[in-house]
Amino acid sequence: MGKKRYKRKYKKRREDIVIDIQNVSMNFKVAEENVGSLKEFIIQTLKRKNKHRELKALDDISFQIKHGEVVGIIGTNGSGKSTLLKIISGALRPTEGTVIVDRNKVQLLTLGTGFDYELTAKENVYLNGAIIGYSKEYLDEKYEKIVEFAELEGFMGEKVKNFSSGMVSRLGFAIATMRDTPEILILDEVLSVGDMHFREKSLNRVKEMIHSGATVLIVSHSMDVIIKHCTKAVWIEKGKLMMMGDPKDVCESYKNIK
Amino acid sequence: MNGAEKVKQYSFVLKQLVSREIKRRYARSYLGIVWSILNPLLSMAVISFVFSQMFIRSIENYPVYYLSGTIIWSMFTGVTNSAMTALVDNKMLLIKSKLPTRIFPLTRAVSSLVNFGFSLVAYLIILLVFKIPFRWHTFLFFVYVIGVFVFSLGLGYLLSVLYVYFGDIKHLYSILLSLWMFLSAIFYPIEATPIEAQRIIRENPIFLYVNSIRRCILRGELPTSGEWIRMILWSVGMYMLGSFVFGRMQNKIMQRV
Repeated sequence: MGKKRYKRKYKKRREDIVIDIQNVSMNFKVAEENVGSLKEFIIQTLKRKNKHRELKALDDISFQIKHGEVVGIIGTNGSGKSTLLKIISGALRPTEGTVIVDRNKVQLLTLGTGFDYELTAKENVYLNGAIIGYSKEYLDEKYEKIVEFAELEGFMGEKVKNFSSGMVSRLGFAIATMRDTPEILILDEVLSVGDMHFREKSLNRVKEMIHSGATVLIVSHSMDVIIKHCTKAVWIEKGKLMMMGDPKDVCESYKNIK
Repeated sequence: MNGAEKVKQYSFVLKQLVSREIKRRYARSYLGIVWSILNPLLSMAVISFVFSQMFIRSIENYPVYYLSGTIIWSMFTGVTNSAMTALVDNKMLLIKSKLPTRIFPLTRAVSSLVNFGFSLVAYLIILLVFKIPFRWHTFLFFVYVIGVFVFSLGLGYLLSVLYVYFGDIKHLYSILLSLWMFLSAIFYPIEATPIEAQRIIRENPIFLYVNSIRRCILRGELPTSGEWIRMILWSVGMYMLGSFVFGRMQNKIMQRV
C-alpha cells in the first residue's frame, strides 16, 4: 500500500517536470590553428600539427523545469546560454548527458528568422511564417491580424530593405507571436524591440503568453525583465551552472560578480 | 505533427524558400526571367558560329546537338554549385529554426531545376526551328532529366558538407568542373577525340545522360540496357552516397557552422 502511494506520488512529480536536464555537457572541438580550408588542413596534417582543443561550452549542467514555471537564463556573452537553448530545442545533441523534453511542444521564438530584405513585407510574412512552422492556410487566415499588430498597413508591398529596423522587428514580432501559445516557449532576446509604445504592446503580448499557463524560458540581458516576470532564474557562467533560485537573489549575485 | 502534416509543411517551406531564391536571382535585372531563355540561345548562337564549320560533316543540326548538352550541363553545375554553399549561406536559419538540415541544399537544387525549366523554353524554340520531329521518345527526355537531377543532388549534398569544413573546395570544384566539361563532349562530337579519351568520356555520367538525350531527341533511339543500368546506378548511387554522408555529418555540421 505504502509502496503504491509512493509510486503514484513519484509519477506525479515526474509529470510536473517538463524539461529535465541531466548532467549535460557539450564539447566543441576547436582546432588550435584555424583550419578553414583544405589547403591549410593538408599543410597542418603534413606538419602533424592538427591538434584539437576541447572547448567545454557546457559543463555538467543539471536542472529541472516544472510545468508553468517562468525561468530566466542569465550569463555573460559566450557563457553557453545559446548552446543550452539549442540543446533544449533539439538543434544540437549534447556530448554527454540527456535532456528529457517533448520536442513537439517546444517553440523557439526568434525574430525575423530568415527575413529576406530583397523581398516585400508580404512575401516575408509567408517565408518567415513557413520557416517557424505555420501552414499556408493558417497564414492566409491570420495575415490581416499580423499586419494590424505590426502596424504596417500600407507598407506590405514594400521591400523590407526600405524598412527601418523598428519596422522590421515589429513585423518579426507580430509573426512570431501570432500563434496560439505553445506549451513550452523559449524567448531569445525578443523583449526589446521597437519604440516605447510597441515595446509595451509586445511586453503585454508576452505576458499574455506567460499567463496562459505555458512553461517559459527567457534569455535576456535585462535584469528588470528577469526579476519582473520570472519565477526562477538560472545563472550560467563559462558553461557552469553558477546559481539557481529566486530571480532577485540570482540577479543580485550576478550583478555583484560583474 | 504526424508524417503527412510534416510532408505538407515542409513542402510549403520548400516552396517559399525556392520562390525566395528565384525572386532574389531576378530582383535586380530588368529582363528578369527572360535572361534564362536568352542566355542559352545566345551562347548557342556564339558556339554554333564558332564551331559549326568545324564539325559540320560529323554533326547534323549542330545547334540542337550543342543546346541539348549545354542546358543539361548548366543544370548540373547550377545544382551542385548552389547546393555546395547552401549550409554556410543559411547559417542563421540552420541554427534558429527547427527545419531539417536537408532542406537547404534541396532548396538550391530545386531552384536550379526551375531555372532549367525556363531554359527549356529556349530548347523548345530551337527544336521547332530545326523541325525536329516529336516522337514518343521525346518524352524520355524528362526521365533523363530526373536522372541528372538526382545525381546532381547527391553530389550537392556531398559538396555542401565538404564546404562547411573547407572553404576552398569551391575553387577546386570549379577547376574540376572545367576539366569535367571538356570530358563531357558538350560542344564537340565524341568521335573527334582519340580512342583513349573516348573511353574516359564514355564512363562519364554526364556524358551518358547527355548522349542519351541527344539520341532520343535527334534520332529517336533508346539507350542499350547497359547504358540504362549505368545511368540508374550513377544517379541512385550518387544520391545514396551524398544522402548518407549528409545524414552522418548532420550533428557535426550544426556544431561547426
